[in-house]
Parts: sequence; C-alpha cells; structure tokens
Amino acid sequence: MFLFQNDWKVLPISAVIAGLVAFSVGQNLFKTMEGTLMGSFAVACICVWNGFFNSIQVICRERAIVKRDHRSGLHISSYMVAHMIYQAVLCVVQSGIIIFVFMRMNVKMPDKSLITDWPLVDIGITLFLITYCADMLALLISAVARTTTSAMTIMPFILIVQLLFSGSFFSLPEQAMPFTNLTATKWGLTALCAQGDYNSLPMVSVWNNALKMKNVEINNEKPLLDLFKYVENNNMRDDILMMTAKENQIEDYAFSREVIYNAWKWLIMWTIIYVFVATLLLEFIDKDNR
Amino acid sequence: MNDIILNVTPSVFGVIAYILISIGYWNIFKKCGVKPYLSFIPIVREYNISLCADKEEDGKNYIILAMIYYVLEVLYTVFKDNVKIVLFLFIFLISAAIALFIYHLRINLGLIKVFGRSKKWIWAFIFCETITVLIFGLSKNFVPTKKVDIVPDKYGVKGLDQDINSIDDGLTVNISEKTSYFYFKKKTLLKDIHMNIKKGHMVLLLGGSGAGKTTFLNAITGYEKAKANITLGDIDVYKDYGKMIYDVGFVPQQDLVRGNDTVTLTLADAAALRLPSNIPLKERSERIDKVLDQFGLTVVKHNLVDKLSGGQKKRVSIAMEFISDPTLFILDEPDSGLDGVVARSLFQKLRAIADEGKIVIVITHTPDRVVDLFDDVIVLIKDKTRTGRLAFYGPVKESYEFFDENTMEGILRKINPKDVGGDGRGEEFVEKYAELMKGKVG
Repeated sequence: MFLFQNDWKVLPISAVIAGLVAFSVGQNLFKTMEGTLMGSFAVACICVWNGFFNSIQVICRERAIVKRDHRSGLHISSYMVAHMIYQAVLCVVQSGIIIFVFMRMNVKMPDKSLITDWPLVDIGITLFLITYCADMLALLISAVARTTTSAMTIMPFILIVQLLFSGSFFSLPEQAMPFTNLTATKWGLTALCAQGDYNSLPMVSVWNNALKMKNVEINNEKPLLDLFKYVENNNMRDDILMMTAKENQIEDYAFSREVIYNAWKWLIMWTIIYVFVATLLLEFIDKDNR
Repeated sequence: MNDIILNVTPSVFGVIAYILISIGYWNIFKKCGVKPYLSFIPIVREYNISLCADKEEDGKNYIILAMIYYVLEVLYTVFKDNVKIVLFLFIFLISAAIALFIYHLRINLGLIKVFGRSKKWIWAFIFCETITVLIFGLSKNFVPTKKVDIVPDKYGVKGLDQDINSIDDGLTVNISEKTSYFYFKKKTLLKDIHMNIKKGHMVLLLGGSGAGKTTFLNAITGYEKAKANITLGDIDVYKDYGKMIYDVGFVPQQDLVRGNDTVTLTLADAAALRLPSNIPLKERSERIDKVLDQFGLTVVKHNLVDKLSGGQKKRVSIAMEFISDPTLFILDEPDSGLDGVVARSLFQKLRAIADEGKIVIVITHTPDRVVDLFDDVIVLIKDKTRTGRLAFYGPVKESYEFFDENTMEGILRKINPKDVGGDGRGEEFVEKYAELMKGKVG
C-alpha cells in the first residue's frame, strides 16, 4: 500500500501528536469532568487534524490526471470509492495508533462499554468516525481547490470553524449553537464524553477555586479554612466533588446508547454528504478550464 | 412627513447617481467599442467595463460574486427577523462585499491604464465615482489607447459551407459550427471545417496560437460536441460516443502521469481503464508487455515514472493511450521539450502506428524536422472574428504549392496574424481553399 507513496508519513505524525496530547491533557482524561471535556476536545482535534492532513491534497495535486483519465473513461464514483477505501484504512490505523499511544502513556481509558463488549473498540469506532468525517471534508476541499496551495489556504479556515463550533469547549451565543451541528468535533466530543461517562465523574474546578480562597479573613477568622479542615477530617471531599458534579451534569453527554448512536449518525451523515458533494463536483471536471 | 422624506431621499439620490454613472459609462463604452446601452444593465455593465479595462478575468469573477451578493442580499431582506439566519448571512455578505470592492478597484485600475492616466485617479473612482466616470466618458481629452476588438460573426470570410460525403475507410469531419456561450456572449470557436482522413494516414495539424487546434481535436473526438457530423468508418462518433471513447486515444501535451507509480503499474492502470472489463487477465498482461516493447519501455518497466527521462515519460504517456489500440490516435505536441534525435525517433514510432492502418493526428510546433514522416497537413487559422477556420487540408507536397512556400514554418508565418509577427494572410487562404474544394465536391 505504501510501496511507492509517502503517505505512510501521516502515521508517525499521528503518533507524535497523540503523544503530545496525552502528555499535556491526558492526566485527567476520563477522571474528572473538566479533564474529560478538555481531553475529549483535544482528542477530537487530533482526529480532525489527522483526517485533514490525510487527504487535503490528494485530488487537487492530480487534478489534471483525473481529467485525462475521466476523458478516457474513468468513472468518478469509482475514483472516489478508491480514495474512500484507501483513506478508511489510513483512518483505522491512525485511530489504533492514538489508542495505543494513550495506553502506553498510562492515560485512563473508559472501562465500561455501551455498544460492543469492549470499551476500547467503542472508543476506536468514535475516533475512526471523527477522523474519517474530517478526512472526507478535506477530500471535498481537495476536489474544489484548483491547486494544492489554495487547498492548504482553505484548510486552516475550515479547521478553525471545526474547533470554534465544537459546541461545548468554547462558550457560544445561543444563536450560534445550531451551527455546531455542522462540525465533526461537536459529535466527536459528545460521543467521547458519553463513552467516558462524563456525568458520573467528579467536578474539581469549584473545589480548586474555593481552595485558593482558604486564607481569606473575615472578622480575624478564616471560615473557609475551617470549613476545608472540617471536610478533610470527615472524609467529605469526594462527596462534595460529586455534589458539585451533579449540579453540572450535561444531558447530552449521558452514558447511553442513544447518545452514542446519535453522535455516530451525525458523523456518518456528514461523511456521506461530503463524499456525495465531492463526487458531484468532480463529475463536472471536463467543464473545468482551469 | 420628515420620516418619509428621510426614507425616500437616499433612494432618489441612488437612482440619480445610477443614471449619471450609466451615462458616463455609455460614453466610455462608445469610446471603447462596446454597445453603449449595456451601461444601464447591472452586472452586464460591470463585465463590459472589464472588457474596456482589458481585465476580462476580473470581470468574470466580479459578475459571479455580484450575483452571489445579490442573492445574499435578497435572503437577508427576506429573513431579516430571524437573528440566526441574519447572523449567518451577514458573514458571507461582508466577505462578498469586500471581494466585490477589490475586483471593482482592479477593473477601475485597468480602465485608468487603458485611458493612459495616472494611477492616482483610483482615489477619484473610490470617493467620487459618479463625477469621475462622467469625466472619463464625456471629456474629449480622455481617449482609450485600446479598443475592444469585437467583430460580429457575419463579417467572417466565406468557406465551403457544405458537407462532404463520408468515407468508409477513414474519418469524415463535417463541422458546421462550434460555439460556446461565454458570459453573455455567443462565441464561435470553429466554423465550416470539412475533410476526409483516410486510415493509415499520419496528419500534421498546423495553426498559430488561438487558431482552435485543441477545440478542433476535442470536436472530432466528441469530447466537446459541435454542430457537426463526425464519422469514423460507419460509426457516428457523437451518437456512439460511449463506444468510441475507447477507440480514440488522446495524448495531452503535458505528461499527465502519476510519478510515484512504476511504468508497468501505470500501464496496468491504463489497461484497466481503457480495455473492456471482460478481457482475461492474461490477455491484458500480454497487451501491456507488447506496448512496453513497442515503445521501448521494457528495460525501465520497473522504474518509477518520476525517475524516467523526458523522452521516456512522453513514451509512457503515449503508451497509456495506445494500450486500447485506438483507430484514431491524437497527440498534442508530443515532441515538446525533446531534442531533435529523440523527437524524430518518437515520430518514427508514430509513423509505424499509422502504417498499421490507424489515423494519427499530431500537433507540433517544430514540424519541419519530421515533416517527411507525415502524409497530410491540416492548416487552421484564426480569422478576424476570432474563429478557427480551415485554410488547407491535403498532402504535404500540395500544401507547399498551395501556400507557395517550401517549409511548414513558412506556411505558419504566412497565415499568422500580424500582431504575432505573421503576414496576416490566413483569410485569403481560407477563401482560396474553399474555392478549390468547391471545384472538387461540386
């Protein structure tokens, strides 16, 4: 498969990126609410990044060749399916690499499964679907762009939209929320948080922020410090963390099959749409005088 | 009452400004040789300004953007009460407005250049467009250095203007007209081209830049259909295009081959594409080996295409098309970038293909070094309406007598327009050839 091609280079790159993310945000992934949200967002970003880099140049760099082949009888649908199969293999391998790197770097992975009997397979499918969806979006950009330079110019813009409109990590105005449905990151983030059972995890940010105020004095007394001592002495910290978490649960991240299936459904739907549009555009390649 | 006046006033000003600008452009269009009434039609006006400004590409982009902008504006007005949609549309509306402004500036800069004025006039266009356009249009001191060169089709020279009978053992071309609509304009690309090319002939396609050589080839292969009757033997190329696609080989000028594949893999892919799917694998493999051998590629068959020399790459590109053993084999400048010895060797291979009973049509810009290998020559010219016309088709020897020249380059010099260093006598030969043909076909 990589006999004469240099595409294999995306595999070590995905391992390096996964390693960096595991090192920086892996510590609290699937352990706390905040760590899970941040970590899942980072993982979704790796997948989108991998997907984009896999295919952003594949069509535009050989546009003239495709045009020649189309003239000689090439069916665009066959051409697209060939790319889809090849890219699917790349995405599966990359998803496997991410999981392998995370496990080697002792990142806690979910121990409960919802769809299959193996939690890692569930996570793997989600990672694959995010990567593949982004991959097909990049393939669409590659089908539209005139040159590799213009494809690489459009890519950061689309990448920013994907990251900004992930729906949870950045606070968006209510009016902008429907647009989050357009992104692979939102559905990837949703699936990952649900698979990590986000709503059953403790929330630590309230506790940590309160702890910073432990030395605040009121009438020559330190009531917060006294409170913390009381909590610690009575082993109540975890209960408080869980209580704050309970108040901040997100219904969309519920640990349920419906949530996962819904997120996967959206990712598959966008993947199909991107492929369909790209195929449709390439069907008109003969009219292209570029 | 005041409210009404405030609401109405800007639109009245808008209408007055539009009329004044249109009057200004009316006169600019008259000066530049464009139909003046087009200055009153939005979007069409901008495209024609770009023609006057010698910035047609920018004009095309402008009108596409303008249409998108107007659609967005309509949607914006329709959905003005829906905040979500308005927010979404606003992003695109602003982007389109910025792009429109930039293209407008570029077109205006072109107009300033055509009128031979300083670039500083662009500020006048930005801040006071109405008055500036009126000055450019009405002042006698403002004269364009270049006019839009539009000659209506009716002024083209007369050709044969009748179909010729088709032949059983070759290609019959009867192109009445090949037109395309190009941003509000009907453009005739080819007109009145008729010929019979016998099997086993190797034909040189000669013509200056823009004479319609590629359009002609696309028309005879059915890739871009024209108002024409094209038959190869007893098969109608247009009606049976699905079948004919595999019986026509077209080798483009550039070596459009994947560099990271080996020569064998490249030909295997080409065979998978171009040969019928029911051919047994063994037969397909034998065909690949035969073509490799025929084009002298056997020794490099395991090499990557990127590692081949220019001549070898060209042979791979030709072999890809030849794999399906086409009856009609067309090559666009196969010798570009090759030295004389390599080029001659390549043309000898093409001669051998023609001798197998195929029709080989070749475009080359250095014909004289290989002219002895050709049977016939097709000479296309661009007439004053910018339409491709047939100036000659026949044996190479007869072409020398017809044009009273002894080299192909001499013929080319005679037919090329004066602005590219030729004698500009192309139309004279179109008429002469038409008379000659009328005598033959009656």
